[in-house]
Amino acid sequence: MSTSTPTPSVVPKAKVSPRWQQKLGHLVGPLVLLGPPGVWLLLLLVIPTLLIFQLSLIPGIRPGQPMDGFGFGNYLNILQPIYLQVIWRSVFFALGSTVLTLLLGFPVAYWIALMAPKRWQNLLLVGFVLPLWTSSLLRAYAWITILRPTGVLNSFLSTFGLPTLDLLNRSSAVFIGMSYSFLPYMVLVLYASLEKLDKRLLEAAADLGASAPQTFWKVTVPQTLPGIAAGCLLVFIAGLGDFVVPELLGGASSMTVSRLIYNQFLGATRNWGLGSGLSMVLILAVSIAIALLIKYGDRDPESFS
Amino acid sequence: MNTRKPRFYPGRSPRIASTRRGFLQLSAAALSGAVLSNCARNLADVNSEEPAASSAASDGGTLHVYSWANYTDQELLDSFKAKTGVEVVVDTYDSNETMLAKMQAGGGSAYSIIFPSDYMVSEMIGLDMLTPLDKSRLVGLENLRSQWQDPVYDPGSAHSIAATWGTTGFIYNPANLGTTLTGWDYFWENGGSLDRKITLLNDVREVMGGVLHSLGYSYNSEDPAELEEAYNRLVELKPAIASFITNGWEDQVASGDLLVSMAYSVDAIALIEENPDLEYVIPETGSSLWTDTMVIPKSAPNLDAAYEWLNFLLVPENAASLVERLKFATPNKTAYEQLSAETKADTKLFPPQDLLDRCEGIAPVSEEATELYDQYWTQLTSS
Repeated sequence: MSTSTPTPSVVPKAKVSPRWQQKLGHLVGPLVLLGPPGVWLLLLLVIPTLLIFQLSLIPGIRPGQPMDGFGFGNYLNILQPIYLQVIWRSVFFALGSTVLTLLLGFPVAYWIALMAPKRWQNLLLVGFVLPLWTSSLLRAYAWITILRPTGVLNSFLSTFGLPTLDLLNRSSAVFIGMSYSFLPYMVLVLYASLEKLDKRLLEAAADLGASAPQTFWKVTVPQTLPGIAAGCLLVFIAGLGDFVVPELLGGASSMTVSRLIYNQFLGATRNWGLGSGLSMVLILAVSIAIALLIKYGDRDPESFS
Repeated sequence: MNTRKPRFYPGRSPRIASTRRGFLQLSAAALSGAVLSNCARNLADVNSEEPAASSAASDGGTLHVYSWANYTDQELLDSFKAKTGVEVVVDTYDSNETMLAKMQAGGGSAYSIIFPSDYMVSEMIGLDMLTPLDKSRLVGLENLRSQWQDPVYDPGSAHSIAATWGTTGFIYNPANLGTTLTGWDYFWENGGSLDRKITLLNDVREVMGGVLHSLGYSYNSEDPAELEEAYNRLVELKPAIASFITNGWEDQVASGDLLVSMAYSVDAIALIEENPDLEYVIPETGSSLWTDTMVIPKSAPNLDAAYEWLNFLLVPENAASLVERLKFATPNKTAYEQLSAETKADTKLFPPQDLLDRCEGIAPVSEEATELYDQYWTQLTSS
């Protein structure tokens, strides 16, 4: 598609120009279009990642030290049980939030895409995305106010004579905070997927005697599977990198890999080597997740039915 | 009165980062510039990206200051302008590391005055980022208390002038706790009744140091056996610890959801101003003592205005009225004497001398020790 952009003006001339010129003409379009983002990616993604990779191969390097030495010390360091435990906790938080946002987000997206009046759809979506306009820090603080022992939630519960909940400074608070933070992403992605749902297939399924659950599992879900996968991945990656929510809501035992990386770079230790090693592990984990999405995310829906 | 002696320990490698207000770094990282002023104390003006950075170098009539929040106010800037004709633009930062990163990246070339903390002064001197002060252009240096005339973080005070100082302690409501808190030992003696009711700072050197100090060791211990002992004490205390946070405990302490929070004196005093039922206590065994200073970076434009600023704040009357308004501790002896009796008697701001003698400055420790601190910290916050 991009190659055809310059053609309207170029084509008449191209007929008389030599082949190499013609080829060049075909290259200009993509270059113009892809150049700036390419440079941007190179400067702000590829090169920094390579720098981090380089740092990760110098055991225990700290700022101000010469960049010499080579070894896998940083990576071997990460294999200590204590760091593996931290990584596992991050995955646990991210996975839990992913499942929660999927369970909460799917009905919402389904309702907005298929059941809500057409003219309200955009408004509903905007309403849903609105919280994203505030800072994540602010929202985490708000959850402290809600979840603390004498906070909003417990005042509400005790007004109705219900037992109060002790949620703050535990994993439960992290799941709540993260799910809340990332729910809009999940809903948006699922909505985009559900909106394209071929409703005739739903009607056909009903005509052919499928029950509602059958229709859901055999028609709706397979068709939206790429959306589900994309949404889950988005939330998982964001959850893996989140450090505001675990730090503020998670309590005394909520060290996650992103907080650990932060400590290595800006905390007391300044062990940029270990921090870079941890970053590379995180980058690798996310890359694998994205590779899986690319491989399986776009699979033909029919293959699931 | 001039014998007040915070002890600063020498350190060869300025590699420590006791991130006071460390949490605020998060805010900068997490939201880069959203306005938080209504949300939490001290979060105000996280980073006002004024057109400061670009334009300053040329105009002679403007002084760009890069400071912690709450160290200046409009009245100060107005009176400075009335005196000197120099317009001051203040940008704020929330951690020494953020400031250093910005200066190193060249984003702070407009600033003529910065307010780094003690250990960061050493680090910046090491990086050759600070202008040696021309003492002949400064008036009133002799008003500073003697220990700030020749602090260990900057021998001879050659690059920096102490601006404020403070301590680390506990904030709590005596009515809720049911007793008067005197020090760390209370936590172990009453561990059972404190089930997740206290918070400690999210700062390894402050927390480990505090416990080390309560055991009779130095804040800057490098002895593995001492560190292990402190770590084990903290593990024992773990059930009582709700969280390690530097900010975010305010409402919870005020409401009684938390019984005790470890806090920097500036943060505690700010909350007590709103909530007089609360009390700030420095452990009887002593605590850590920190200094924030004023320096002129090598890249500073408008040196004349920078010296005028330093001189203006060295004038005892100016320093004293600022302290009355903003409630921080001044290292200026003459300014202290001019404070109102009420402020002078405020032991939160100016702890009694015998207690101060038991306090200690946090200094950089060796690389091996730093590693050990971090290992224990990671274990403590993840098990």
